[in-house]
Amino acid sequence: MNGSATSLRLQVEPDRTALEPTRLTVLAFLAPHALSARAVYAIELILEEVLSNQIKYAFADGAVEPIGLSVNVTANRIELRFEDRGVAFDPLQAPAPPGARSIEEARVGGLGLGLVRQFSHLAHYQRRDGVNRLSLSILR
Amino acid sequence: MEMVSRDIDADVRCISLTGRLDAPGADRIDLAFTAATVAWGRQVLVDLSAVGFIASMGIRLLIASARGLHAKGGQMVLFGAQPLVYTVLDQAALDQIIPLVGTEQEALARLAS
Repeated sequence: MNGSATSLRLQVEPDRTALEPTRLTVLAFLAPHALSARAVYAIELILEEVLSNQIKYAFADGAVEPIGLSVNVTANRIELRFEDRGVAFDPLQAPAPPGARSIEEARVGGLGLGLVRQFSHLAHYQRRDGVNRLSLSILR
Repeated sequence: MEMVSRDIDADVRCISLTGRLDAPGADRIDLAFTAATVAWGRQVLVDLSAVGFIASMGIRLLIASARGLHAKGGQMVLFGAQPLVYTVLDQAALDQIIPLVGTEQEALARLAS
């Protein structure tokens, strides 16, 4: 491990305009850690899909609060943790969209969380004390 | 995210995308891309070779446009995806609904087949 910081904690405003600055902040934090191109892609994909989902659905029926995001770098993986006080929702159990065999029957929703599951090495969800906690690991 | 449209002939148009096809990128080109594909209603090749990142909002834009185009009797073929972009498209099983090939030549051949 080099001398660079190994953890980052952010509070993300639940608004789509927060996606790009959050991505850039995380990339700047990860830059000294020499990750593979695939790991960087997976992290960007997971950030976009999970945060977009939280922004769209977590606060549909209540007070809007910032989303907690932490990024930890270990010797062989990156761990992303998302926390929100919104509606209880386990994204790891969300049904995958039905497979379409033709353009007529293709549906445009539901792809994002499937990609999150496919690009994560390990994934864990817990609802505790009114907080959704989603932890995802990506190999470096 | 930028797009450049070039008509190969009276029935075939090639749209080259450059940049990130993430949520902000898809928002940026949504109207122009829909106009250049669905409103046009004929054959469209989409060059993805300069797209370095795609996420679900970008895939949604491609599917929605391809479906609208198909309803008008047109067809969309994608080509040139970089390896990680290809991996995402493959995992989303996009090639089941929109043909995805390697080069512009292959895309033209696919339209003709």
